[in-house]
Amino acid sequence: MALNTNPKGEKRMKARKLLFNLLTLLVFASLLAACGGGATEAPPAATEAPATEMPATEAPTEAPATEAPAATEAPADPMAALYEAAKAEGMLTTIALPHDWCNYEAVFAGFKAKYPDIEVNELNPGAGSGDEIEAIKANQNNPGPQAPDVIDVGLAFGPSAKEEGLIQPYKVATWDDIPDSAKDPEGYWYGDYYGVLSFEVNTAAVENPPTEYADLLKPEYNGQVALSGDPLASNAAILSVWAAGLSTGATGEEAAQAGLEFFKQLNDAGNFVPIDGNSKTVGIGETPVMIDWNYNSMLNNVNLAGNPEIATNVPTKGSIAGVYVQAISAYAPHPNAAKLWMEYLYSDEGQLAWASGFCYPIRYNAMLAAGTVPEDLAAQLPSTEGAFFPTIDEINAAKAIITEGWPTVVGVTVEAPAP
Amino acid sequence: MTTTPASAASATVTVQHPVTRKRLSSWLIFGVVSLYFLIPLGATFYWSLRGTKDVLGFEAYRKLFADTNFLPAFSQSIVNAIAAIFLSLLIVVPTAYWVTLRLPKLRSIVEFIALLPFVIPAVVLVFGIILLYSRPPLLWTATYNSSRVVLICIYVALSFPYMFRSVDNGLRAIDVRALTEAAQSLGANWPTILLQVIFPNLRTALLSGALLTFAIVIGELTIALYMAQHTLGPYMSDLTRSKVYEPSAMAIVAFAITWAAMGLIQLVTGGQAQTTAGH
Amino acid sequence: MKTNSTNSQSAKSTAGGALRPPRIPIGNWLGVLPFFVFSGLFLIGPVLILAYRSLQGPEGGLTLDNYGQLATNTVLSSYGMSIKISLTTAILGGLIGFLIAWVVSMGGLPPRVRLLTTTFSGVAANFAGVPLATAYIFTLGRVGLITALFKWLGVDLYRTGFSLYSFLGLTLVYLYFQIPLMALTILPALDGLKREWREAAENLGASPFQYWWQVALPVLTPSILGTMILLFGSAFGAHATAYALTGGLFDLATLLIGRQISGDVLHNPGLGYAVAMGMVLIMAFLIFFVYSPLQRRSERWLK
Repeated sequence: MALNTNPKGEKRMKARKLLFNLLTLLVFASLLAACGGGATEAPPAATEAPATEMPATEAPTEAPATEAPAATEAPADPMAALYEAAKAEGMLTTIALPHDWCNYEAVFAGFKAKYPDIEVNELNPGAGSGDEIEAIKANQNNPGPQAPDVIDVGLAFGPSAKEEGLIQPYKVATWDDIPDSAKDPEGYWYGDYYGVLSFEVNTAAVENPPTEYADLLKPEYNGQVALSGDPLASNAAILSVWAAGLSTGATGEEAAQAGLEFFKQLNDAGNFVPIDGNSKTVGIGETPVMIDWNYNSMLNNVNLAGNPEIATNVPTKGSIAGVYVQAISAYAPHPNAAKLWMEYLYSDEGQLAWASGFCYPIRYNAMLAAGTVPEDLAAQLPSTEGAFFPTIDEINAAKAIITEGWPTVVGVTVEAPAP
Repeated sequence: MTTTPASAASATVTVQHPVTRKRLSSWLIFGVVSLYFLIPLGATFYWSLRGTKDVLGFEAYRKLFADTNFLPAFSQSIVNAIAAIFLSLLIVVPTAYWVTLRLPKLRSIVEFIALLPFVIPAVVLVFGIILLYSRPPLLWTATYNSSRVVLICIYVALSFPYMFRSVDNGLRAIDVRALTEAAQSLGANWPTILLQVIFPNLRTALLSGALLTFAIVIGELTIALYMAQHTLGPYMSDLTRSKVYEPSAMAIVAFAITWAAMGLIQLVTGGQAQTTAGH
Repeated sequence: MKTNSTNSQSAKSTAGGALRPPRIPIGNWLGVLPFFVFSGLFLIGPVLILAYRSLQGPEGGLTLDNYGQLATNTVLSSYGMSIKISLTTAILGGLIGFLIAWVVSMGGLPPRVRLLTTTFSGVAANFAGVPLATAYIFTLGRVGLITALFKWLGVDLYRTGFSLYSFLGLTLVYLYFQIPLMALTILPALDGLKREWREAAENLGASPFQYWWQVALPVLTPSILGTMILLFGSAFGAHATAYALTGGLFDLATLLIGRQISGDVLHNPGLGYAVAMGMVLIMAFLIFFVYSPLQRRSERWLK
């Protein structure tokens, strides 16, 4: 392009440049305008909520369902009114609920059978608690199928989500059965189930399954022990480290430090496999010993049907319990469907479905007293005797120590091999 | 080797030796590299046969096909892929052409943009997209199908690095200027030049780009997941998390079907791949 | 619209002898407009959002803290490791991929082999992510096929310090999609090497080596460079494979981002976005200050 000797060409060139710049500006400007109102918006009122909304977010009935109706036009069964409202919305969006976690498969099946007019839209079963929070934040104004209605997160995420204004309060009919230590008094979040950490062992690959944390250090388990997640990011993995520390007899924050030391030892001995364990890595023998929630381990055994056999050993020393909580998103596109879901989860049917997945439903003690737990289900749940139920503050304290200390104390990150 | 005027007999004799040696070393290289690629596949296949305890069988495959979610997810992914390929070709070829021929100053910017998909982590990209297009005036995520269109557009953007690089390489290989000049002097207008002169000469490049785009889309996970789309990626991921043997069966099946799709694409573009050019 | 003046223009160009660009300024821009609009909507827009969010602290206010944290050891070592792996696999993958492309297009193999290779390359590139990671666990993991083979031969791989979950392991895994990527992308360039050039070189007495060194390679260099940057970028931004292989325990930038954004625990998305912005800047640096000058230099060799 010999433009140097061509003044007209030069002018044209400048005109093109100007045009290009204007175009670019236009594109960027329109983008900025689009996202301008974006970032932090006031929570939208539940938009499409139909007229017959379930009155009062507190349903103070003592017994489930069929009691006297609360105000307005609700017929004899308040659940029916809620169902109508939910039907109008037509869809429920859940997130982070794998079918083989506490047998959510049965929970979903039961819910769909009972309320067939509501389409259940399941998002991202592999999500972690942080993912769920991010999903709410990212979809604040989105009425579409990407926005979760309900979340199931680790205990510590309840209060933080409430603080960030991401969840809305709702008290289910069976509210009083939930222990106070596992719920927010105003109804923003509420415990749903719990379990204890155990050793998930592939018995085809490991002749002598370990029973205590101290066992894991033995040479026979060389290259076999793994966590179920990244101790810098996963709730279960952090609690595993803490539990190892607790098994040495230490308590509280000292136990967190002791846990780090334990894993340093484990790694130095060559017993620690530095990957994210899951049911597959256990099943093929890549991580034949994994520290995970008892319910995952036991359900894995059922699903594998003996190919191979999975043993679930709950240690007596350092047994730690983990509680998860439910909450409804403040920006839920289908708030009534969300409430209906909660009612189902906390009904006997929902609670027992979780129990069939080897999880302790949060209303267990109340249900046991009322005699609504079938004997065979009660029998297959592992003992939680001696299990440590940490409070939120204790968890946060231990979390801080472990996430900070892991890279330096245990130092398991991958580096280039020395030349 | 050299074409000296020698008798036919001696010419063939002297010519054969180096050619055979070259062919031998070609096969050797090909063989070694093939091994590298085939062994992990073989291992996967072996594990997929272990669905029943202590016996090698196809139980895992049976379970896979019994799952009602598998084939719909797969077909959705294939349709998405084809749509993305079409759109990407339509956008990238003229762009590469114009940048090469008329707007060389834009090259750096276009190259940079074309490589952006690599450095924007998928999770960040999808969150950005949702934030941008989940509210008026650009409410594009309200329904499953509209979200699907957005997904396809994202895939087009993700294909830019591969498509642009392939097309660019292809354009370098043909003398674009001369071709354009010749076509222009014959009176062709721009659409004609593009469609009837440039596109056909870029067959190999377009094929490469299309194959790579297909590869990206078919198993893509993160974006489909957050856009709440029921495609193959999320399906595979779910399977992998919970099952032990079915994922391997799935990988093999996906492999086979993708192979078939690739073969089809090659056929449609005229099987250009047979001819070899210079030496 | 675009085509008005072409005909009169073509008369001028043949008369004048030199190629003159058609006088259609708008037309040029229209050719690239779709590209820019698309990129604007689906790439640049999100990057802007990304930049905005990288300036947000955990409580929501605007802050430069996240960028400050980029200078910490953990983040720097993540970047370092990512760059190291990307560079290694780009070069190795580039070499081997080029070799395969050459072998298959000019190595004297039957044409069906080429068809096979291109098809397989497409599929191999597709394998990346979860299936690839799992395949490698089955191959080189502690219970992998090759590991077992070595054990049968008397060598315990893992006791020698080898581990799939290491730099070496990750490189091996990444090459599985880097090599096909290179092969597929460089094939069109190889096809463009005209037979006439080779014959001309031979007639002038050049050895095959000389032909390659002085004719073919210089011609191919811009394409090779461009494709290697592609390979670098592909490894740099890879997340699914590394995550599926180790669940996030690697020291990689993409995994660090994932941890911050979606982890149960650390959860400082602002930092995650800042790290992501850092990656964008690294790529920008590479393109504008390394790749483009090299491209221009190599193009000068051509004409």
